Amino acid sequence: MRKVAIYGKGGIGKSTTTQNTVAALVEMGKRVMVVGCDPKADSTRLLLGGLAQRSVLDTLREEGEDVELADIRSKGFCSSLCVESGGPEPGVGCAGRGIITSINMLEQLGAYDEDEKLDYVFYDVLGDVVCGGFAMPIREGKAEEIYIVCSGEMMAMYAANNICKGIQKFAETGVVRLGGLICNSRQVDNEREMMTKFAERLGTQLVHFVPRENDVQRAEIQRKTVIEWNPKCKQADEYRALAKAIDANKMLVRPKPLSIQELEDLLMQYGLLG
Amino acid sequence: MSSTIEVLPGRAASIAVAGEAGGAMVCDKHSLAGSVTQRACVFCGSRVVLYPIADALHVVHGPIGCAAYTWDIRGAQSSGPQLHRNSFSTDMQEMDVIYGGEKKLERALMELIEKHQPKAAFVYSTCIVGVIGDDVTAVCKKVEAAKGIPVLSVASEGFKGTKKDGYRAACEAVYTLIGTGDTKSIGPLSINLLGDFNIAGETWIIRDYFKRMGIEVVATITGDGRVDDIRRCHGAKLNLVQCAGSMTHLAKKMKEDHNIPFLKVSFFGLEDMSAALYDTAKFFGDEQLMDKAKEVVRDEIGKFYPQLRVYKEKLIGKKAAIYVGGAFKAFSLVRALRTLGMTTSIVGTQTGDKDDYAQLREMCDAGTVIVDDSNPLELAKFCLEKDVDLFIGGVKERPIAYKLGIGFCDHNHERKEALAGFVGMFNFAKEVYASCCSPVWNYVPRRARSQRPEVSGQKSDAESQTEVAS
Repeated sequence: MRKVAIYGKGGIGKSTTTQNTVAALVEMGKRVMVVGCDPKADSTRLLLGGLAQRSVLDTLREEGEDVELADIRSKGFCSSLCVESGGPEPGVGCAGRGIITSINMLEQLGAYDEDEKLDYVFYDVLGDVVCGGFAMPIREGKAEEIYIVCSGEMMAMYAANNICKGIQKFAETGVVRLGGLICNSRQVDNEREMMTKFAERLGTQLVHFVPRENDVQRAEIQRKTVIEWNPKCKQADEYRALAKAIDANKMLVRPKPLSIQELEDLLMQYGLLG
Repeated sequence: MSSTIEVLPGRAASIAVAGEAGGAMVCDKHSLAGSVTQRACVFCGSRVVLYPIADALHVVHGPIGCAAYTWDIRGAQSSGPQLHRNSFSTDMQEMDVIYGGEKKLERALMELIEKHQPKAAFVYSTCIVGVIGDDVTAVCKKVEAAKGIPVLSVASEGFKGTKKDGYRAACEAVYTLIGTGDTKSIGPLSINLLGDFNIAGETWIIRDYFKRMGIEVVATITGDGRVDDIRRCHGAKLNLVQCAGSMTHLAKKMKEDHNIPFLKVSFFGLEDMSAALYDTAKFFGDEQLMDKAKEVVRDEIGKFYPQLRVYKEKLIGKKAAIYVGGAFKAFSLVRALRTLGMTTSIVGTQTGDKDDYAQLREMCDAGTVIVDDSNPLELAKFCLEKDVDLFIGGVKERPIAYKLGIGFCDHNHERKEALAGFVGMFNFAKEVYASCCSPVWNYVPRRARSQRPEVSGQKSDAESQTEVAS
């Protein structure tokens, strides 16, 4: 089983990218579980066709310890398995602790056991790694490969660099490695070149460049991944290519985060080329 | 005698020896990591200061341990309601941490106020509440509006600083009550007692002295405390601050906002107790009052002095170690021990400041070790080196003394004997005598080794105790 976590700046398109990639993987015949690590519990909406299920934490809170896997795990598109950690409303409690509790619960319930015959588990983690709780999926024994969703915008690159610092820290004591950057294009100048260079400087690779395409939004309105919504469209092939690249990826590295000055220089160099 | 225990390098500047040269002692700082300080946390500081207010509800917002370990921690007595002796807690657990504890706190407060009808409620924040950011103040406001009693948030997150910061948070919380009551009936000869916690009924002893002088005690903060008294205590003409460490902040605030002057006093020992009464009389500038103070002092000392002299004969030359919370108590104990013919070999506090330590260096005999924010190893080292006969401290010092085979006198929360006032000095002397002169110490390894040839000497010690006791 490959254990993958997707990180990236808030709003960059992590959940969309993850679900579309997972859709392509299940289409290839892989058995995949997605664990949404966001209190909003919206990481599996496209696979499930809506926000139908109850989160791990809500179930734990309402039913106490007597929770079964079936209570918190739902089948989505092409038999993909979907779990949402869930968590508190904005402004209260500790969402980070929630992720820790929820992942421990999934382990206890045997969600990762051999007999589940999973090929992949994907953790979709919100925004920056703001505290220890959000780093839970990259700690020892959890996710082993990280993909960072990024774009050519400064703040997205800054967040990606910051996440690399987190991976670097956990890589010292654990097995977690960086698998690469996924560019979810914002159509900024020289984006592909800049992302390729940025990935190289971090010691990693640009796994795939996902062009900007309104079909993604159209599919989302229908509560579907692009592959389910229109398997023949061009964007569906982009996600298939991304899924293939991840499936074939052997390049797992300890990232080398850039200094702020290096990051600024990179932006200056590529942003002004056009 | 020397010991092999070493002082941590970072601690050396917080230790001084009276009579020896050296600059100001390093104090008033966060404890050194690894030193295992004797100090408690911010939360504990707030809790010990406020909890004796007997008709208030005290709710600990946090996991159950914080409430359990501070449950009825001081043995503070009440002449009326006993609500304060409960340790209510929101018992925060995993799901409360994740989803936030505000709703649980609100439910707990509503239910408890309904059931116990307190005059006010104090809500203590613990570490986890600070980490997850529960808006305790907002919950307090909401419950206050719904229930019509003051509901006060005590910002006492344990990790925020030292125990002293907890005292400050407690003063801030209780201060919001002050100035909200009617002061019309308060006379001109009126005081508040700040920083006496009515352990073993001490507040009552002190109150009685002032009553005999004709002085009205408006509020006792917080020993045998009542919410309504505290609300009107800004009508008093003078504040007497007994526990300087915990209550000076409150006294200063009352001086700024209500123009009430304060005197730092101590009720421990004959000299300091007398001084407290005389200073109060002097403050009011009333001849008659001074005469009455003298009368009280004369009566009380007359009652206890003969017996104190008997104890003194037995105690002359004995050596003591003192480790207490506040410096004012340390000053008093040094003097009280002197009254009993004893010397102070070691004296330390948890919350003393630079001036306090300068004063200790001045008042103690040359060679006395003076220490700020000490730890078990240091205290053990000094006790061995100075070969003390008695340790005066609190619950955390007791095992250090007993393990070393040293007599112990509890001068902190758990004591069941009143040690304040003139009668308190008598009780203190009795306890010090009983502890120091117990023949049992001759059989502990430390002394037994050095005294083995003098078996007859031990016998006479045991005999002499029987004589005094009869």
